[in-house]
Amino acid sequence: MISLRGVSLVYPNGTRALDDVDIDIAKGSFVFLVGHSGTGKSSLLRLLYREQKPTRGEVSVDNVRVDNMRSAKVPELRRNVGVVFQDFKLLADKTVWENVAFALQVTGARTRDVMRQVPRVLDQVGLAHKARVFPSELSGGEQQRTAIARALVNNPKIMLCDEPTGNLDPVNANEIMDLLHRINLKGTTIVVATHNAQVVDRMRRRVIRLEHGKIVADEERGFYHVNDAGEPVAAGFTAPR
Amino acid sequence: MDWGRLRFFLNEVLRNFTRNLVMQATAIGTVTVMIVLLGVFLFGREAVTRIGDQVVHQIEISVFLDEKATPADARAAIVALRGDARVRSVDYVPKAEGLRRMRERLRGQIDTSLLTTNPLPDALHVRVIDADTVAAVAAHIRKMPHVADVEYAHDAVERLLRLSDVVGKVGIAILALLIFTAAIIISNTIRLTVYARRREIAIMQLVGASNTYIRLPFICEGLIDGLLGALLALAVLAVARWQLLPKLTTALPFIPAEVIRIDTSLLTLELLGVGAAVGILASWASVSRQLRV
Repeated sequence: MISLRGVSLVYPNGTRALDDVDIDIAKGSFVFLVGHSGTGKSSLLRLLYREQKPTRGEVSVDNVRVDNMRSAKVPELRRNVGVVFQDFKLLADKTVWENVAFALQVTGARTRDVMRQVPRVLDQVGLAHKARVFPSELSGGEQQRTAIARALVNNPKIMLCDEPTGNLDPVNANEIMDLLHRINLKGTTIVVATHNAQVVDRMRRRVIRLEHGKIVADEERGFYHVNDAGEPVAAGFTAPR
Repeated sequence: MDWGRLRFFLNEVLRNFTRNLVMQATAIGTVTVMIVLLGVFLFGREAVTRIGDQVVHQIEISVFLDEKATPADARAAIVALRGDARVRSVDYVPKAEGLRRMRERLRGQIDTSLLTTNPLPDALHVRVIDADTVAAVAAHIRKMPHVADVEYAHDAVERLLRLSDVVGKVGIAILALLIFTAAIIISNTIRLTVYARRREIAIMQLVGASNTYIRLPFICEGLIDGLLGALLALAVLAVARWQLLPKLTTALPFIPAEVIRIDTSLLTLELLGVGAAVGILASWASVSRQLRV
């Protein structure tokens, strides 16, 4: 589904964000990218929705090369890749319904489809009753669920989440992760960049660890903090269920 | 037709347009000034061309033949001149006819009955097609046999030609500057709108809106600026045309009355087209520069 081959990314100021990275992510999987701030997690996600081109290497998404994709083809890619951010990126002057509908309307969807799809995803994220409410009247968790609904409304094959729980308390963070888990169960491939140890340890999914732009660990059913033997070490992690 | 989709799009355009009304007014005002001046210039140039044509038609080269010239010599000269592609008409005035015309012209002013002999030479009155060629044709005639003298309104022709040339060049320079200014102001207005909507644009790009779709509302905004400016200018020009110009031609007799009859319907379309084109091109350039993916 997603593959990176020998990918390096050096920003114009000389910062080496990614250094010879190889990753394969299978269709329908759920993957955490972990590591400290500035280790290249967000940069890696940006390569996947072609916000950024790699300096070297090949990036494929859904069996299509995106590193050398023509600009005109990028919108098509992005309709297949939903993206969610820490700061939600909702439009303050639009209601929940309008924010979600916006993603369809600006891609030229027919009104009939908008009227059908928007209630469906709002129902899926549990916000049907808040459709007419503006983002400023929502809790952080509800705002993130709105953002997820917007990412979901085009039926993407992949969802990329950049610190989706960064602005949320633990309860809301868990709810968002549960929602992503349910979306994943329906077949959507999900990649979450995070340094929220609690959600990583609770979910027990594949964990890819980046340090200074290199992959230093890649484990199925991993933890956030591990020792050399791959066992959880740090204080404060919650035991997996 | 999906009316919901159209309504969403028009709503986007309207929101863009009303986001910064002061800037929109500035842009529209600049276009108005530009189009008014362009209209005046084009109309003025048309008028000058007509006046010039009239003057040129009146410019005559008077050719006086020497005393030894026979009617056959005169005829030969006429045939030669009529064969010249630059010449519009040749009018032969034999000395007797010249005297008759002079008597008529001076009747009541000078007592021409005192003249016992005819002092006038045989003459040819030559008119050219293009005023630019007057000097050359005159020089050519001067070299023909039996030509004693050649006269024409030398200075008047040269001054008129030079004036229309200078006016044309200065006018084009000023207009180019104005169009450039209008384009810059529209493009800045669009830039402000793009800036004000950068969050929405970022989200549009994120969810996969095509570049054309993202650009179109901004292009429409520029088009509206250009068209509204042009329409306002046309209103101003219409008042000038139908209220001021008739008064002007009465007050200034050297402006020929036929200037009022110049057909301005094509000019109207041209001015609307210029307004629309400036708006579209300026906004296109502005949006393209800022929305590079």
